Amino acid sequence: MIRRDFIKKTALTTTAAMAMPYILPSGRLFAASGNRSASHVVLVMFAGGVRHQESVGRRYLEGSQANEPYEGNIMYNMLSGGAPSMKIVYGTGEGGINPIPSILSTPLEQQGRLFTEVEALSAGHFGGLNSIVQGSDFAGQGLKQRPINPTVFEYLRRHGGYAATDTWFVGNGIGGSLPLLNYSSHPEYGIKYGGNFFAPLITFSETGYELLGNGKVYHPENELAPMYRLKAFLDNNFANNGAMLDSLGNTEEEKQSIKEFMNLMYEKVQNGSLLLPPITDNGDTATIGFACEVLNWFKPAFTVVNLSAVDQCHSDFTGYLKSLHRADHGVGWLWNYIQTQIPEMAGNTTIICIPECGRNLSPNAILDDNNWLAYDHSDANALRVFSLIAGPGVQTGVVGSEGNPVGSVRDVVPTVLETLGVSAASVPSGLISGMSFLDY
Amino acid sequence: MNTQVSNSCQQDDNNQQAGLGKLALLATAAAIAVQGCKKEKEGIYELNDVLIADQDAVKDRMKTNEQFVSILFTNLFQSGISSDIVFELNQCFLSIGDQELAREVLISNFFNQSNVQLPSVEVMMQDLDLFIIDTYKRFFVRLPSEGEKTWVKNFILSNPYMTPELVYFSFALSNEYLYY
Repeated sequence: MIRRDFIKKTALTTTAAMAMPYILPSGRLFAASGNRSASHVVLVMFAGGVRHQESVGRRYLEGSQANEPYEGNIMYNMLSGGAPSMKIVYGTGEGGINPIPSILSTPLEQQGRLFTEVEALSAGHFGGLNSIVQGSDFAGQGLKQRPINPTVFEYLRRHGGYAATDTWFVGNGIGGSLPLLNYSSHPEYGIKYGGNFFAPLITFSETGYELLGNGKVYHPENELAPMYRLKAFLDNNFANNGAMLDSLGNTEEEKQSIKEFMNLMYEKVQNGSLLLPPITDNGDTATIGFACEVLNWFKPAFTVVNLSAVDQCHSDFTGYLKSLHRADHGVGWLWNYIQTQIPEMAGNTTIICIPECGRNLSPNAILDDNNWLAYDHSDANALRVFSLIAGPGVQTGVVGSEGNPVGSVRDVVPTVLETLGVSAASVPSGLISGMSFLDY
Repeated sequence: MNTQVSNSCQQDDNNQQAGLGKLALLATAAAIAVQGCKKEKEGIYELNDVLIADQDAVKDRMKTNEQFVSILFTNLFQSGISSDIVFELNQCFLSIGDQELAREVLISNFFNQSNVQLPSVEVMMQDLDLFIIDTYKRFFVRLPSEGEKTWVKNFILSNPYMTPELVYFSFALSNEYLYY
């Protein structure tokens, strides 16, 4: 009887093992079978609340400030159109009178596709950022809380088989929910499919260097390997007591690579050799510089860069214009750097730029040094944003117009998945509600 | 008359014999009952009792970054850390996505400081059992089980590069150290 049971169970197990799909080390079933249109995607969350009028509207001061009828494009790396000819305040030097020269000879708009009227799902920063990285509405999402739905990092890693260091989030700080956007609290996804994250302005600051920049170097085989083995024994014992702790899933080799990257950054910061855009006088441009260092070192499949200096528009309209101009300068430099300095990514990278929310139609009462009024973000105008996509296989042209919106911030996730060859069909239904910008 | 006396004596003897019999019966029953209820003696085989499972209290609360940093500093330097540094280290931790990697980098920085309190390899090898017990007490606030002690001891003995620093590194990086 026992023997018969044994034979029966063995036969069943063998049949099941043959019939069941293989689970790869990344935790996904099978390999990604979709066709990639690019091997790399860089998503610039052109965030901080970008008012439609001064950005894709190219209206500069026209309409926003009384008696200042000066139109023009202050984002000429990204958008087509001439710069303002008068009342220049957004450049460098005293009073900002010197516009920063364009880096790209052909604006991104002419290299790719511009969606001029895109729907933002939230008039707030973190609702907007959450809807971009989750590809869905942010209903029920709290501040300082992990995304409740899986993020694009988790889809890529779980369904696309990408490694942890293939996916990066380069944040401009650690305020609010920002350091929480690299993975969700969704029970089927979560940390083990998360993306790597750095807020380099903090990690590689002077304080960061003092506290973390002087690590002892251990021999990977003679010292680190036995150290990890002993740790594994201790962890297994603790796990036997019911305590499990998942981690981001960087392999030992990936961890070693990240540590080497960190040491290189500390060294570069100390000797002033960091990659930086020609004009780096605010946090956004420095963040873009660090993002290029990440691209250069890891050549990730997917990188998110978050900017937010334009948020000073709450109280300083002139400062906002300067930040908008610098964010464009940073994006132009980033795209140029990828195409000219990273051969593995040149001609093989798609860039997506999109603000998380816009800004109000009407100003608040705060005046800046130029006696210009400031703008918050809470009304319908704050739900108007744009999206710019360029890269291999991306059609060119302009889509949508005022009164004829096409696309939504929730479309970013399907666009990234499609570009990197991850079939949206592999994602459980109901999680992603947008459609790819490439399919409009 | 004599016959009456002798009869009476005989009767007394019979009564006495019956009483003694009952007494003997009772004594036997009592003896059996006492013997039957007596707790079985445990065999003593000249071996000490050993703990085969962890005797630690349940650790189910995760330390915050601030708690982890403060406790780690105290464990490694045998002194307190300033609140400013705890705050700054928390900021640094938040700026790095892989928290395990952040802890690893921090520990390697601590070990690069001259005032870290570490026993020498000689001291460790002099009394390895004591070193292991002290390490468990220092980091996990508990005694190791016999299984743990034996495994760690064999591991150290079979890995010539293991130093007290690397042992401390493993303990400081372990999951159990993250909980209290």
